[in-house]
Amino acid sequence: MANTRSLSNATALRDENVLRRVRQLGSARDGLAEWRLQRRTALALIPLGLYFVASILRLAVSDQLTAAQWLSSPVPALLTILFVTALFAHAVVGLRSVLVDYVHTRARLVAAELLVRGAAILLAGASVLAVLKLFLGR
Amino acid sequence: MMERPLSPFMFPNWYRFQITSALSILHRLTGIALAVGSILLTWWLIAVAAGGQVFAATHAFLASPIGILLLFLWSVAFFYHLCNGIRHLVWDAGYGFEIRTAHLSGYAVLAATVVLTVVAWLSVWLI
Repeated sequence: MANTRSLSNATALRDENVLRRVRQLGSARDGLAEWRLQRRTALALIPLGLYFVASILRLAVSDQLTAAQWLSSPVPALLTILFVTALFAHAVVGLRSVLVDYVHTRARLVAAELLVRGAAILLAGASVLAVLKLFLGR
Repeated sequence: MMERPLSPFMFPNWYRFQITSALSILHRLTGIALAVGSILLTWWLIAVAAGGQVFAATHAFLASPIGILLLFLWSVAFFYHLCNGIRHLVWDAGYGFEIRTAHLSGYAVLAATVVLTVVAWLSVWLI
């Protein structure tokens, strides 16, 4: 363990390359990429989520004009697009880890994963498009 | 082959209640709930962009008692998942693994969830 760490510091290798060199215990493939995506999106979602939720709780019951005006101004539009993107990426990794734990048949797992990924891409795309329409059409 | 109970179903009879495992399960449940709830978020964004009748129907639903309740539960799930997620990130960094610390951070997460939810909704109603 100490060896791995010093190797990483000495050569500035990416973690996955270091892990690949670890005999028996290290990852041989790309599980780390998903692990890291989950953590990176989690970090991004701390400020983005707090900003968005603080705004949305008020706007959710407001009239259309107020909501549209908010979503069409540059900063809320950008942060909402970033929030939605990070949110659905984070949700896909999280839901996949649940599926992997509880779906024990290969075919069902592949089907469920495709469904989750497809739904996430659809929802993320629709959200971004909605914000863009408001932002570009103001 | 004998039908043996698998891990989550061991809970009421074989496992003693522990805050750490309860919060871990709650993290997953709120995560799933938030993922499902994000459908409503997308729907709301589309409704604002579309305007007209679509927005009117969405607004009527969100402003109804059921809509407000859903928003409230969604906010609780969000703040819990946020706080416990930060707890997970601290664990990822290698801190807080002692049993006492893990219990304490668990109660801190619950307290922070309550505080954030109350502050968020008070700010909605008062400001």
